[in-house]
Amino acid sequence: MSHPSFPRLEDTNTSLDGLGGRVFTISAVVGVLGLAATFALGAAQGDGLRRLGFTYLTSYTYILSISLGALTFIPIMYVTKASWNIVVRRLAEVMAAVMPLLAVLAIPVILFAGQVYGWADPQVAASPAMAHKAAYFSRGAFILRWVIYFAIWSLYGLFFWRQSLGQDADGDVQRTLRLENYSGFSIMIGAVSIAMASFDLLMSLDPLWFSTIFGVYYWAGGFVSFFAVMTLVTFGLQNTGRMTRIVSPEHLHDYGKAMFAFTFFWGYIAFSQYMLYWYANIPEETNWFLERSREGWGKLGIALIFVAFALPFAGLISRFAKRSRKMLAFWAFWIIAAQWLNIFWVVMPGYSEHFVFSIMDVTCFVGLAGVWLAAVTRLAMGHSLVPLKDPRLEASLRFENA
Amino acid sequence: MSRGDLYGLLIEFESPSLLMAAVEKVRDAGFKRWDVHTPFPVHGMDDAMGIRGTRLPWIILGGGLTGLVAATAMQWWMNAIDYPFVISGKPLFGLPANIPIMFELTVLFSAFATFFGMWGLNGMPKLYNPLLTSRRFRRATQDRFFIVIEARDPAFKLEKTREFLASLGGSEVEEIHESAED
Repeated sequence: MSHPSFPRLEDTNTSLDGLGGRVFTISAVVGVLGLAATFALGAAQGDGLRRLGFTYLTSYTYILSISLGALTFIPIMYVTKASWNIVVRRLAEVMAAVMPLLAVLAIPVILFAGQVYGWADPQVAASPAMAHKAAYFSRGAFILRWVIYFAIWSLYGLFFWRQSLGQDADGDVQRTLRLENYSGFSIMIGAVSIAMASFDLLMSLDPLWFSTIFGVYYWAGGFVSFFAVMTLVTFGLQNTGRMTRIVSPEHLHDYGKAMFAFTFFWGYIAFSQYMLYWYANIPEETNWFLERSREGWGKLGIALIFVAFALPFAGLISRFAKRSRKMLAFWAFWIIAAQWLNIFWVVMPGYSEHFVFSIMDVTCFVGLAGVWLAAVTRLAMGHSLVPLKDPRLEASLRFENA
Repeated sequence: MSRGDLYGLLIEFESPSLLMAAVEKVRDAGFKRWDVHTPFPVHGMDDAMGIRGTRLPWIILGGGLTGLVAATAMQWWMNAIDYPFVISGKPLFGLPANIPIMFELTVLFSAFATFFGMWGLNGMPKLYNPLLTSRRFRRATQDRFFIVIEARDPAFKLEKTREFLASLGGSEVEEIHESAED
C-alpha cells in the first residue's frame, strides 16, 4: 500500500510538561511587570488616571475579543460536525476557559468608567437625547450587565473545556452528541451577549452614537485575531517538539484560510458600517466618524484600510502563503498588531481629538497579554493538549484539503 | 466498419493499492497524456500521478481584476461623464458609493472565470469519450480502477507501451479506438 502513512498521537508529545511551568512563570512575571509599569506611567500623567483608563480599555477589549473568538469557534465546530479542528481544539478550549480571569480583569474597566465613558460625564448625561437612555447607562446597570455577560461566557467556556477533559477520561461519545445539541443555543446567546458587550465596552464611549453592526465589527476583529493566536501558539508548541506531525500543513492551511476569510469579513463589515453613514450623512450618525477623521486619527483610519485589510488580504490570498510556516507566522503577528490598532483607533479618539500614542499603550498590551497567556498555560498544564478520545480525532489526524 | 484511429491503451486494477503502485510507475516512466479513473477519490493520487498545481487561480485572479476595473470604469463613465447627476450632495464619482458594485463585479467575474476556466482546462464540454466504447470501463463507476495512456503521448509506442502496461500487474491490456465496433 503506497498510501501516505497517517500520523498517530503516539508519534508526538502532546503534553506541556517541562515547558508549561516556564511559560507560566515568564508570562506571569512579564504580565505583572507590564501592568505595574502601565499603572506607574498612568499615575505619572497626573490626570486622575484618565489616560490609563483609555489604554486599559483598549488592550482589555482586544484580549477579551480573542477569548470570545475561541468561545465562538468551539460551538461552530460542534454544530457543523467539523473534524479538521479536533487536534487543535483543546487549545481553543483553554483560551475560552480563562473567562473567569477576564471577568476579574474587567473590574478596572468598571472602576475607570467614570473617567472613560461619555455616559458617566454629567454634561453628556444632561443632554435631552440621553433622557431615554439614562436607565440603561447607569453604573448599576453597567455592572449588572457585566455580571451577566461573564456568567454566560464563564459557564460556556468552562463547560466546553470540562466536557472535553471528561471525554479524555471516559471516551463517552454521548458527550460529543450533547455538545452538538447545546452548541446551537450557545452560538445564539454568544452572538447577542458579544454584541451587547461591544456596545458597552466601545460604543458607549459616545453614548449618543449607535451602530447596529457594531457587534459584528468587534466580533470579526476578535475572530481573525483568535486564528492568528492559534497559529502562533501551534508554532510555539511545534518548535519545542510538541504536536509535531499531528498538526500537518493541511491544518495550517485551514488556519490560513480562516485568517484570510475573516480578514476580508472584518473589512466587509467595517466598510458596511462606514458606507451607510457616509451615504445617509446624518449628523448624529456621522459624528463618530468625524471624530476619527480629524488629523492624525484620520491618517490612522486610512492606514487601517491597508494594514488591517488590504495587505493581509493580498498576503494570504495564495495557497502557497497559507501553507508556508514563515508566511503564516508573519501574517499572524501582523493581524494581531493590526486588530489591536483598530481597537485603539475606536477607543482613543474618545480621549483626545489629537493623535496620542505612548509607551503605556504597549506596556498595557504586553501586561494583559502576559497575564492572559499565563492563565491559558496554567489551564493547559496537566492535561493532554489534544482531545484524546474525541470520536472525530482519527478523521482530524487524516485530514486533507481537497 | 473501421474502429477509427487508436485512442490509447487501457488497463484495469482491482484495488486502489494495486492502482497506486502502478500509477507511480507510469509517472516515473515519463508519460504526459494519461489519466486514472476510479469510482471514488483516492487520497494521495495527485502526488502519485505527479500532477502539478492548477493554473486556475491565475485565471480567476485575471477575471477578478477585470471585474474590478470594469465596475470602476463603468460607474465613473456613467455617473461622472455620460449623465452627471448630483445625488444628496455626493461627489459625481464618490468611491464609497461605488465599492459595493466594484466588489460584486469582482466576485461575479471571478466566479465566471472559475467556472469557464475549469471547463477550458478540462477540455469541456466533451460530448463523447472513446473510453466509453469499452465494456469493461463501465465498472469505473462501481468497483474497478483504470489507467489509460493516450496514443498522442510523445512517449507512446504501441508495442513497448503495451508491454510496459502489462508489466504493472493489472488485467489484460485493452486497445481503445476512436469509435466503437459496430
